[in-house]
Amino acid sequence: MGRTVQYHRAALRRHDPGLWLAAGLVGLSLLALAAILSVLAQQALQAFAPTPVAQLRWRGDGGEQQLLAAVVTQDAHALVVRGSEWQRRGAEYRRIARADLRQIDWPADARSLRLRDGREIYLRGDSAAQAPDGSRLAAAEIVEDVASNRLGRTEATGLMLRRAWDFVSGAAQGGGVFPALVGTVVLVLLMSVLVMPLGVLLALWLHEYAGSGRGARILRAAMANLAGVPAVIYGLFGLVLFVNDIGGGLDALLQSATPRWGGGGLLWSALTLALLTLPVVVIATEEGLARVPASLRHGALALGATRAEMLWRVVLPVARPALLTALILAVARAAGEVAPLMLVGAVKYAPALPLDGEFPYLHLSRQFMHLGQSVYDLALAGGDVPRDMAQAHAAALLLLVVVVGLNAAAIVARNRLRERARELAV
Amino acid sequence: MSTRDEDIGASVMPPDLLAGRDLALEARALCLEYSERRALDAVNLQVPRRQVTALIGPSGCGKSSLLRCFNRLNDEIAGCRVSGEVRVLGLDAYAPATALPELRRRVGMVFQKPNPFPQSVADNVAFGLRLAGLRSRLEIDDRVEAALRAAGLWDEVRDRLDDSALRLSAGQQQRLVIARALAVEPEVLLMDEPASMLDPISTLRFEELVVALRERYSVLLVTHNMQQAARVADYTAFMQGGRLLEFDATDRIFTNPRLRGTEDYITGRMRETRG
Ligand SMILES: Nc1ncnc2c1ncn2[C@@H]1O[C@H](COP(=O)(O)OP(=O)(O)OP(=O)(O)O)[C@@H](O)[C@H]1O
Ligand SMILES: [Mg+2]
Repeated sequence: MGRTVQYHRAALRRHDPGLWLAAGLVGLSLLALAAILSVLAQQALQAFAPTPVAQLRWRGDGGEQQLLAAVVTQDAHALVVRGSEWQRRGAEYRRIARADLRQIDWPADARSLRLRDGREIYLRGDSAAQAPDGSRLAAAEIVEDVASNRLGRTEATGLMLRRAWDFVSGAAQGGGVFPALVGTVVLVLLMSVLVMPLGVLLALWLHEYAGSGRGARILRAAMANLAGVPAVIYGLFGLVLFVNDIGGGLDALLQSATPRWGGGGLLWSALTLALLTLPVVVIATEEGLARVPASLRHGALALGATRAEMLWRVVLPVARPALLTALILAVARAAGEVAPLMLVGAVKYAPALPLDGEFPYLHLSRQFMHLGQSVYDLALAGGDVPRDMAQAHAAALLLLVVVVGLNAAAIVARNRLRERARELAV
Repeated sequence: MSTRDEDIGASVMPPDLLAGRDLALEARALCLEYSERRALDAVNLQVPRRQVTALIGPSGCGKSSLLRCFNRLNDEIAGCRVSGEVRVLGLDAYAPATALPELRRRVGMVFQKPNPFPQSVADNVAFGLRLAGLRSRLEIDDRVEAALRAAGLWDEVRDRLDDSALRLSAGQQQRLVIARALAVEPEVLLMDEPASMLDPISTLRFEELVVALRERYSVLLVTHNMQQAARVADYTAFMQGGRLLEFDATDRIFTNPRLRGTEDYITGRMRETRG
């Protein structure tokens, strides 16, 4: 008795460093995730937080100037403000050194109007919006009218949430990121649907039928090496194989007047990503298959099962958690991948969603938008850097949420299955 | 004695012992190697039809390996090589044309370690039936119940048929896999220590079952329990070190074995289990 206790203690002690290391690493990665999320969230908030409006007086080049403007950022040396954008979005930024500043007030009656195209106009009191050239704004142009300096905490939060929701749901100026969100999710789901059967079949063949023959060895080596190929090369490959060859061939075959399949599209992108994630799926699935106890296989065979029946009825159900692990890895890899997609179907602006109410609902040949590409475009747009950067962060945050959400769903499903699988140890 | 030990190759059994009997299983000059390590050495065994034959011998002597030759489950073990002749119900089991699923449906097996599938109790028993193409719900239910009753498990699981089979106790699992093998009504049953985890009452019922099975099945039963062999088997084979040393009617082998080795093993075992 005493001996066994001692033995267990010794075992514990022996495993201690590993245990602590693992716990530390898990904690570290969670911390890193939290840090990334909080940085992104902080930056993204600026896209939606109401900016206070100030009445400014300062010494400029041509004598004293004054302006009613939104204060975008301020530090010890200077303010960055944005005046009413009568001309163009992002054209009215101004940097005012603190040394030059004469007076700054935060008038309680300041209002900011947001226009359909994303411009902002600042007013005081209930004066009507009148451009410097005397033209008036049509009421239909105005999507938001806020008393910026009088917002209470709850109102400000409400406003922020509404703006964030508009951004995500597509009601915001410029369409928001809704199309990209739909594009991303549909793409990842389609990729999963394509890669799982293919990957599982390949793994089954490798593990159950091929043995250690030459073909299997070559395929294994190929898988191991393919896992390390940069993603953009898959994009190029997809462009040549899917878009040009297969797509072009299809168009020729269907004799369509305009290229339909011969251009980038949802299906080609999903296939490219499927190819990209195939090695991961095959390797993870094979590991799962290897862990199915031989006694279960023998039990099925001894009852007269063919090899296929044994695999289908016993091995695959037992290996289901491993399949989900494979899916999780594939989704994690694919959801964040942008570079290859730019070559095979993701675009900056797509006129229609890949998924809609029109038959056949899922439009495989359509070009689509992708959150990763939105991040890229917003960050490099250059027209209105403070706002675009903030929106890029918001899009990035959304992308991260989508990836984490898809993964979390798969992980929950796997853990459910795993509980059942754990009973195998009995 | 030792000289007789050498040349037992051909004469492991009395010449007329099985005269006139149909054979369910037959092994001739059967050798088996696990990656060059020999586990069976020129085994000759004849298992008569509709009789119970017990296979006894010390641990590691190759009993399970021999059993796996009759349903060719050894094919599944990497590095396992079999040579010699195996006949199952008169057909060459290792002929290239043999359809393994068909062979294994006729030769059922109960494994040494219970290996229920991670499915419900009912699905476990119905597994082979569904493989055989049975679709009718009613018929499946009937045969599942019959098999569970035969294995003496019905009363314990009748209201937990939908529970996971893995929640059953080890002894219950052992009876479950017996039921699973019985459900498909094979012609031959290979049983590898199927009662090792059963309590005395269940063991008794199991033995009654085996005796009843004689009516329709040919049974080859591996057991470490000498009394069990003596109680249920018509014939008994004794193995040692990968060789089949003696085969005889059970009462003869237990009362008057021809070989010293057999006697030592049996009496040693007897002594051990009694006291
Ligand atoms: N899968 C395998 N791979 C390699 N060697 C094996 C394998 N299975 C069995 N052996 C070896 O073959 C020999 C016979 O084993 P086997 O399982 O047939 O013995 P057994 O008579 O059934 O023993 P027990 O009564 O303990 O079950 C043993 O030496 C064993 O180590
Ligand atoms: Mg054994």
